[in-house]
Amino acid sequence: MSKSITLNHITKIEGHAKLELGIENNQVTKCELSSTEGARYFEGIVKGRRYNEAHEMTSRICGICSCAHVIAAITAIESALGYTPTEQTVKLRELMTLGERIRSHATHLYFLALPDYLGYESALAMAKKYKPQLESALFLMKTGNYIIKTLGARDLHPVSATIGGWLKLPKQADLDEIKKQLENVKKDAIKTCKLFFSLKYPSFSTNGEYFSLKDDKKYAVLNGDFCSEKSCFHKDEYLKFIREYHHSNSTANFVVKEDHRYMVGALSRINNNNNKLSKDAKKMLKLSKIKLPSKNPYHNNIAQAIELVHCIDDAINICKNLKMKHEDVDKVKVKAGNGVGAIEVPRGTLWHEYTLDDKGIITHANIITPTAQNLLNIQEDIRQFVPSIINKKKEDMVMDIEKLIRSYDPCFSCSAHFLEVKWV
Amino acid sequence: MKNLYVFGNEYLEYDKFAREIAKQIKNVNIINCRSPDELLEINDNEILILDVVKDIKKTIIINNISQIKTRKLMSLHDFDLGFFLSLMKELGINKKIKIIGIPENGNIKEIADGVKACI
Repeated sequence: MSKSITLNHITKIEGHAKLELGIENNQVTKCELSSTEGARYFEGIVKGRRYNEAHEMTSRICGICSCAHVIAAITAIESALGYTPTEQTVKLRELMTLGERIRSHATHLYFLALPDYLGYESALAMAKKYKPQLESALFLMKTGNYIIKTLGARDLHPVSATIGGWLKLPKQADLDEIKKQLENVKKDAIKTCKLFFSLKYPSFSTNGEYFSLKDDKKYAVLNGDFCSEKSCFHKDEYLKFIREYHHSNSTANFVVKEDHRYMVGALSRINNNNNKLSKDAKKMLKLSKIKLPSKNPYHNNIAQAIELVHCIDDAINICKNLKMKHEDVDKVKVKAGNGVGAIEVPRGTLWHEYTLDDKGIITHANIITPTAQNLLNIQEDIRQFVPSIINKKKEDMVMDIEKLIRSYDPCFSCSAHFLEVKWV
Repeated sequence: MKNLYVFGNEYLEYDKFAREIAKQIKNVNIINCRSPDELLEINDNEILILDVVKDIKKTIIINNISQIKTRKLMSLHDFDLGFFLSLMKELGINKKIKIIGIPENGNIKEIADGVKACI
């Protein structure tokens, strides 16, 4: 039997991706996942700019994860300048990051993943029958948006967070209002868990390793070493372990860890940090009945649902315990240096690295998105998974493969940031 | 005073026209929206929206959400005003909505006068 599948535009993921799959005599002969996004050049764009411009510029990499790029860039630049932010600044950065994760997970779970499992073409088609569920999604998204807007002064591409602190601080009353809204939507997060636990997921186990930040003190958000079940390394050493490369047929960046594939994202975080989840998130994890560590990428949906509960609890705690005090933005002394920022964002670990000269001008930048790290694992998962569904009808195979890709919640627009140019 | 919810990205040449027109409109409360979910909890009797509509020459009024062409939701980036209003309709969130659709460009004074007449 011979089959050839080309998915020219994989739907319900961020950005544009293409999969070419060849099958002969029940063997996968070709499996190539590529991005068809235009090159982004962000690392080149920030080169030559001042240290305090990187976060505003790189926020434009993505409208969905703009807070993530802001905070990762600030973290890396502050590290290059040898500056340690205040506890209040860090807590507010965490809160904004959690808000973005709540918004992103709710949107991905309900509007991109759920229609697949319920047999609908889109969320619009399922709206009449699943009204309460989609209303839960909208309330969760709105709450995430509210957090970002309150802290960042905008719900996309926030402008308040900066090197050395916050240009505009929220008032205590703002944190009280955020807390109130989070408490109101917690029931929606719990309903989300129960809904996603009730879905039927294909049985599959990736051969890739799972990685996330691991923080001794809490469920990692902005700090920690980069760890899997087998190894751990400090973020500043990432280039010793991580290698980026590019395929001539794709504008996307592929990343491997010591020449083998790995995955990042909610499932990796839960695998590594489940003992640091909030009490109610732990209850949800128990209810899910998934066995950890799980290497089934379809369980990333379950992990995202559990993270919704955890992020809400974590954000409530920040709002409850943070006693806002006035803090001017610190004047950070400019000097030459190199710094790496690694933070956990909706789709996994995000890396920003900058080198500055003694005038604070960026001379080198490197950005590695979660999807770039997941790309090879997604491609090889498909190669590994297809033989188990090879006897299915072509359209059913396509659906299973698309579900697998979508379970990673990939963002191809963000991973496409490089194009090798041969100048003649 | 009525509220006028204005959509569009002030940084994009092809998407900022509604904001420019809104600056010419007096006696309404202008609210610049960045995200369609801002409409979720509005309690106005009628939600009045100003936005740019592609491929029209004159200002139009859209009272029926079904008139809006909805793109398939391919990614989170497609979660736009059209999709959101259609979703609100499908969910039975029956708010009275009037969209004043303006062309992508044109004479600011003439278009602003047209919008005033629609409010």
